[in-house]
Amino acid sequence: MHCEPFEYEKPVSLREFESLYAARADDARILAGGTDLMVLIKEKLLAPRLLIDISDLHELRGISWDPRQGLTIMAGTKIAEIERSTLVKEHAPALAYAAANLGSNQVRWMATMAGNICHASPAAETPPVLLAHDCELIIGRQGGERTLPISRFFLSYRKTALESGEYVKAFRLPPLPARAAVAYRFKGLRRAMEIDMLNIGAYLELCEDGQTVSDVRLAMGSVGPTTYRAAVTEKKLKGMPIGEDFFAAACGGVVQEATPIDDVRASAEYRNRVIGVLTRRALEECLEIIGARRSAA
Amino acid sequence: MSRHDFDVIGKDQKRKDGPKKVKGEHEFADDIQFPMMLHGRIKRSDIGHARIISIDTSKAEALAGVKAVLVGSEAPIKYGIVPQMPTEYALAYQKVRFYGEPVAAVAAVDAETAEKALDLIEIEYEALPVYTTPEQALADGAVKIHEDNKFPGNIAYESDQNFGDVDEAFKNSHYVLGKVFKTSYVNHVFMEPHCAISKFDTNGELFIWSTTQIPHYLHNHLSKVLQMDMNKIHVKVTGVGGAFGGKGEVSNNELISALLARKAGRPVKVLYSRKDVFLQHRGRHPIEMRVKVGVDKEGMITGIDYDGTMDGGSYGGWGLVILFYTAAMLHLPYNVKNVRFNARRIYTNKPTCGAMRGLGGVQPRFALESLLDQIAIDIGMSPYELKKKNAIGFSHETVSGQVVRHSEFRKCLDQAVENSGYLEKHGNLPFGKGIGLAGGYYISGTAYTLYMAYKPHSSAMIRVDNESGVTVYCGATDIGQGSDTVLGMMAAEKFGLPFETIHVVSGDTSLAPFDLGTFASRVTVAAGSAVCKAADNVLKKLKPVAAIQLGVSPEQLEARHGKFYSVFEKSREIDFWKVVEKYIDAHGPLTATGDYTPPRRTGDFKGANIGHSPTYGFSAQCTEVEVDVETGEVRVIRVTEAGDCGQPINPVSVEGQVEGSIIMGMGQALYEELKVGKDGRLLNPSLHDYKIPTAADIPELKTTFVDSYDPESPFGAKEAGEGPIQPVIPAIFNAVYDAIGVRFTEMPITPEKVLKALDEKKKQEGIRS
Ligand SMILES: Cc1cc2nc3c(=O)[nH]c(=O)nc-3n(C[C@H](O)[C@H](O)[C@H](O)COP(=O)(O)OP(=O)(O)OC[C@H]3O[C@@H](n4cnc5c(N)ncnc54)[C@H](O)[C@@H]3O)c2cc1C
Repeated sequence: MHCEPFEYEKPVSLREFESLYAARADDARILAGGTDLMVLIKEKLLAPRLLIDISDLHELRGISWDPRQGLTIMAGTKIAEIERSTLVKEHAPALAYAAANLGSNQVRWMATMAGNICHASPAAETPPVLLAHDCELIIGRQGGERTLPISRFFLSYRKTALESGEYVKAFRLPPLPARAAVAYRFKGLRRAMEIDMLNIGAYLELCEDGQTVSDVRLAMGSVGPTTYRAAVTEKKLKGMPIGEDFFAAACGGVVQEATPIDDVRASAEYRNRVIGVLTRRALEECLEIIGARRSAA
Repeated sequence: MSRHDFDVIGKDQKRKDGPKKVKGEHEFADDIQFPMMLHGRIKRSDIGHARIISIDTSKAEALAGVKAVLVGSEAPIKYGIVPQMPTEYALAYQKVRFYGEPVAAVAAVDAETAEKALDLIEIEYEALPVYTTPEQALADGAVKIHEDNKFPGNIAYESDQNFGDVDEAFKNSHYVLGKVFKTSYVNHVFMEPHCAISKFDTNGELFIWSTTQIPHYLHNHLSKVLQMDMNKIHVKVTGVGGAFGGKGEVSNNELISALLARKAGRPVKVLYSRKDVFLQHRGRHPIEMRVKVGVDKEGMITGIDYDGTMDGGSYGGWGLVILFYTAAMLHLPYNVKNVRFNARRIYTNKPTCGAMRGLGGVQPRFALESLLDQIAIDIGMSPYELKKKNAIGFSHETVSGQVVRHSEFRKCLDQAVENSGYLEKHGNLPFGKGIGLAGGYYISGTAYTLYMAYKPHSSAMIRVDNESGVTVYCGATDIGQGSDTVLGMMAAEKFGLPFETIHVVSGDTSLAPFDLGTFASRVTVAAGSAVCKAADNVLKKLKPVAAIQLGVSPEQLEARHGKFYSVFEKSREIDFWKVVEKYIDAHGPLTATGDYTPPRRTGDFKGANIGHSPTYGFSAQCTEVEVDVETGEVRVIRVTEAGDCGQPINPVSVEGQVEGSIIMGMGQALYEELKVGKDGRLLNPSLHDYKIPTAADIPELKTTFVDSYDPESPFGAKEAGEGPIQPVIPAIFNAVYDAIGVRFTEMPITPEKVLKALDEKKKQEGIRS
C-alpha cells in the first residue's frame, strides 16, 4: 500500500517523548498500537509528517490498584492486558468484558485504551464503560499534567478535548461504592470482530435500603456523534425505587436522548428501538451483580 | 476388494500440506520471487458505465521505476470461460461496464511505485447510464451494456424448459403454494487473494504461477489473448488458499501479469488486494425467483413452476452454465413429474457473478425447501414426512433425463432427523426457538466439457521406481479441498502401500497429463477414476512378474501391506519393491496411464447437457436457531447433518468440507451482502464491512455419514464439497419459521428484518383477533 512518507521516532523515556511531542505537536501523531491510525493513513485520510511510537515507554504501561484512588491504567497498556488483568476483573469487570470484545486477539495485543478513546469513534468499545465508571483522565504535556473527567473528553465526532501537545497519560477508575455495579452491553451483526451497531455502559448504585436508586449513569455508543451519557434520564431515575417503572423510564429515556443516524451497520429506527433493550439488560445485570455481592457478603 | 476392507481409504489421513500450511512453509503464489521481478498494479475505472474516450499514460510512463504501462487496446481479444460466448478483455477495451473495472496496468520496480503511477494515468470517459438492478437494465430504452449481445436489450441469456404439464398438474392439485424469493449478492471470501507471476524465458516461452482452479483453461486463454502457441506456455498452480469457484475463471490479473511481463521483458507479479478480489468477484448470482409447488392430498409433489431473473453483473463468465444448472436443480432430490422453468440472466453494471460453491443449486434449493416446509405445515404434515415421501429412491431418472445411478438421500433425511430429535422438537419448542429441516444434493462432476471435445476429462500417469517410489501425475488441482491427499490415498490403497510414501504431482500443465480442472465437484470421481485406472495398469505389469517369482497365477495376487501375495495362500508373498526392481531390471521404466470419460447419454436434452453427472451426492440437515425477539438477532445453535458422499475417502476432509459448507451457507443466510451504490460502486468491499461468520458465531456441528457406496465410483466415492451447502440456508430459514412463525423469503435475515417482521406479524394477529 502506498502512502505519503512520514518520519518515525521511538522515544525510550517519557521525558524524551514529551519534549519531542511538544516541539512537533502540529505535524506529529502519537502511534500507540496503530490499529486505528495506520488504517487512516493507508486510506489516505490522514498524512502526518511524524509518527511518535510510544510503545517502548515503560512509564506508560501497567495497571495498579489503590483502595482510595481506585484502579489506575496507564495509557499505553494493551487492551489484551486489560482483558486479562485480575485487578481489572475484580474492580472493573465490565471493562475487562468490553476489552475482550474489542477486535480480535491480534488486534487486542496491539491496541491500547488511549488509542481507543483518542480515536473517538462513537462506536468504540471502551468509552461506554469508562463513562459509566465516571473515570478520570490524567492528561500529560511537557512539564505538567491535568485531570479531566471523561464525561468532558469527547467533544464531537472524532474530536476530543486534548489541546495541542497534550496526551492521555492514564485512566483512573474510582473505587465502586458498596451496592454499585457497572455493566456493558453491545450489539453487532455477528459475535466478534465487529464494530458495534450499538453499545451501552450502565452504572447503578442503590441506597442502603437496597431498593432505591441512589445514582445511575447510562453511556450510549453509536447513537450520536460521540459516546455520551443520557444525562436527563439519569437525573430522572435518581431516587426511583427499583421496579418496572424504573426500567420503563430508563428505556424510554435513552430512546428520547439517543440521536442515531442510518448507516451501513444499522438504521436509526433499529438503533432507537434496541438501545432501550440493551439498557434494560445492562441495568438488570447491574442489579444481579449487586444482589450477588450482597448475598455473598 | 470388498467394500469395507480397506487399509487407507476411509481412514483419516493427515494431509501433507497441513503442517506446512501451519508453519507457513506451503508455497503460495505471493511467496514466489524472481530476480528482477516487477510488481504490477491495476488502474480501475471510477465510473460504472462509460465509453473510453482516451487514456493518457505518458506521465505514468515517465515516473522513475515504471517499466511498462498497458492498456486494453494492446490485447483487444475477447475471452470467457464459456468459449462460445467470450465477453471479456484483459483490460477494458473501448467501454467500461462496472465501477472498478481494470482499465490500465503498470509494472514497476515495487508496488508503491506502481501504485503511484496509477494515479498519474488520465482517462477520459463518456458516461453512460448505470444499471445496478435487472429491473433498471431491462427498462424500456435501456442502453445495451454489451452492444454485440445477441439477446434483446440486456438479457445475457434466456431459456424456457417444460417437462410434463405444470398447469394441468396444478389444476389437479390439492394445494399449490407460490412465493417470491430473493437471494443476495455474495462473494466467496476465500482467504488468499488472487496472485499470478508471469515470466518469459529467452526463448519466448511463458511460465505462469497462479492460484487457480483451472490450469487448463488458463493455458487456453493465455494462448488466445497473447496469441501464442499453447506448447510455449507452462501453467503452474501454486498453493491455493481457497477458491470455491472464485478462481474457476481466468482472472484479469493472470492475463495482465503475462502481458506486462512480455512488454517489460521482466517477470511480473500481480497480487490482488481484498478490494480487487471483491471487484473480480464471480460470486453467487442474486436471483429473484417466483416459485410455485403443488402437492396432492398425500403430499406428493405434482409440479414445480419456476421463474427466475438472475442478476449477472457486467460480464458473461459462467453465467450461461449456471442458468442451466438452476434448471437442472429443480428435478432432484425429489421425484417430480411436471417442471416448468423460465429464466433469464441479465447484464448489470456490477462486478460479474459466477461460480460459487454449489452453483445453480443454492438459490432454487432455498426456494424449494422453504416452500415444501410451508406446504407440509399448511396441510398438517410433518415436513420430514413430506420430504421423505417425495425423496427419490436408490436410483432414479428425472423427467429431464438426468440419471441418478446411486442415492441414499432417504437415509440422509432419516439420520439427520433422528440424530437431531427433529420430530420431537419441530413445532414444540418455545417461542424464539426453532428447528428446521432441509435436503439437498449436488452433481459429482459434469458429463460434458465446456467446449466440444471427446478427449478424456481426466488423465493420470503413475511412475514407479526404486529410487523415487510411487509418483502420481495428474492435472487435477488441489485448491485446499485435499484432492492431492485423496488421489494419493487411492494409489496407496491400490498398491498396498502407506499413504505417506506416495507422491502426487498435480496442477502443472507441463508435468502432469490433462485434466479439466477443479469445479463441479468432479475431482474425486473423475481424477480418482483416472488414478485408479493408471494404478490398475501398473499392477497389470507387476503381477505377472510377481506371479513367476511366487509360482502362482497373476489373477490370484493381491497387493497389500507392502507385498504381493496369493489370496489363497498368504505365505506365498513377495515384497512390492522387490517386484518393482525385477520388473525394471527386465523391462525398463515402469509407468502407466489411466483416464476417465464420464458416461455419455444419448438423446436430445433441453438445457444442453448441463446437470448430467456420473453420480450425485446428497445431504440433509436439521438446524436449530434461537431468535432474540427483542434485538432481532438470529443465532444458529446446532446443525445436525447427514451426508451421502458415497464412501468417504478421507473422512476428516469430508467433515471439513461439510463444516465449511455450513458456515459459508450460514454467512449468506444471516450476514453477508455486497452493497452497491447508485453509481455502481461497491460500498463494503472489505472484510471490515462485508461480514463473514467468525469463530465466535460457529454453531455446534454434528456431521455424520450415512452408510453408502457407489459401486461404479472409485472406491465408492461421490462428491462432498458442494452438496452439503445446499440445505444450509433453507434449514436456517425453516428453523426461523419454527421459532417465530415468520416465513422469510429474502436473504440475509438481519436483526432489523426480524424486528420488522415481528411487528408486522403482531399487527396481522391484532387485525385477526
Ligand atoms: C481489525 C480491527 C478490529 C477492530 N475492532 C474494534 C472493536 O471491536 N471495537 C473498537 O472499539 N475498536 C476496534 N478497532 C479499532 C482499534 O483497534 C481501537 O480503537 C484501538 O483501541 C486503538 O488503539 P491503538 O493503540 O491501536 O491506537 P492508534 O491507532 O495507535 O491511535 C489511535 C489514535 O489515538 C491517538 N493516540 C494513541 N495513544 C494516545 C495517547 N496516549 N494520547 C493521545 N493520543 C493518543 C493516535 O495519535 C491516533 O490518533 C479495530 C481495529 C481493527 C484494525
